[in-house]
Amino acid sequence: MKKTLIVLFFLAATHGLYAQTMISTPPVKLPALDKSPMDMAYFPVNYPVLKIQEKATSPLVARVIYSRPQKAGRPVFGDLVEYGKVWRLGANEATEIEFFKDVIVANKKVPKGKYTLYALVNPETWTFILNKETDVWGAFKYDEKKDVVRTTVPVQKMTEPAEAFSLMFEKISSGAALTVAWDDVKVSLPVLVK
Amino acid sequence: MKYFFTFLCVAFLLGGCSQNDKKPAAVTSLPTNVSTSAPRPNLKSAAPAPDVSPMDVIYFPVDYPLLKMSKKAEELPVARVFYSRPHKQGRKIFGTLIPFNEPWRLGANEATEIEFFKPVTIQNKPVAAGRYILYCIPEEAQWTIVFNTNIYSWGLKPDATKDVYHFVIPAKKHSVSYEYFTMLFQNTPGGANLTMWWDDVTASLPITIQ
Repeated sequence: MKKTLIVLFFLAATHGLYAQTMISTPPVKLPALDKSPMDMAYFPVNYPVLKIQEKATSPLVARVIYSRPQKAGRPVFGDLVEYGKVWRLGANEATEIEFFKDVIVANKKVPKGKYTLYALVNPETWTFILNKETDVWGAFKYDEKKDVVRTTVPVQKMTEPAEAFSLMFEKISSGAALTVAWDDVKVSLPVLVK
Repeated sequence: MKYFFTFLCVAFLLGGCSQNDKKPAAVTSLPTNVSTSAPRPNLKSAAPAPDVSPMDVIYFPVDYPLLKMSKKAEELPVARVFYSRPHKQGRKIFGTLIPFNEPWRLGANEATEIEFFKPVTIQNKPVAAGRYILYCIPEEAQWTIVFNTNIYSWGLKPDATKDVYHFVIPAKKHSVSYEYFTMLFQNTPGGANLTMWWDDVTASLPITIQ
């Protein structure tokens, strides 16, 4: 009996120790990696790195947050992304662009703030749409009444296709170009920065 | 579908063996050979490859953008977090890859960002609406979660002079190890827990809505 008690006591004590450091309930459902992972681009290009290196010579102008579907052997434009329809310019949550100062897009002043960026895709041209409704999923709730500016730009064809949908800022003389590259298509949205 | 995903994971792992925690040096090699003027006849893709530690977003209320789409959401969310997700890749994480008692960026690449759309309360301290970056000082049994105002910065070298809040929370070992660093909001009666999980360690920061 005494032995049993000792064993029981020992078991209880070790279990107590164990319970202190280990959680025994099953894990919560943890999200897997997304097939179309999110990414972020800043203008000036690489601003966060420049900032911690104390090399940021001009103030932050913009950043874009978007998700990156893969081509994965599929025909993209005119098929996966239908022509003539408003597209979320990525995947999952709609693409967000934020301006940290007022800028000019298509001769129109765009006040600093967050916008959702959509694109209406056609074979020769794309229309970029800046819309005030943010934190949305896809283009399912797209409301034209909340548009801030629309601008149509020409499509350029690339000789080397991009597997992953990409958004990137490039420095141009008037400010920044937000460049989209996917499959064999490249499109640029000029942003005038004063 | 499941097999496809497994394949993707394996592909990610194989592809990312030598460069899991991308350093700023890798980023400075982002596209430079892109046309910035008139269209050229032979354009090449300058698209950056997807990151081995991909970014993700979480909202509170959970899945806010989806709720908004089905018109079940309020005008603004309470909070959202952008963070990057490094992989364990067979390594021991806490106390080894991430040393104890040193700042860790709670992710990878750009500093992890939390935005509150309304004021909240954490450990009885009022936290104003706005953006902060988060980092962590892990120890064996507790983590210090630091809110810092040096936003839009890369995750390395946090500037402690811009710390605004330090919250100490217990860190617990779990019998299940998780491959990807994960952050998630979990509903609680008065708000949400911001739960962090990587390898076999998990910690939760309780947030109360004011």
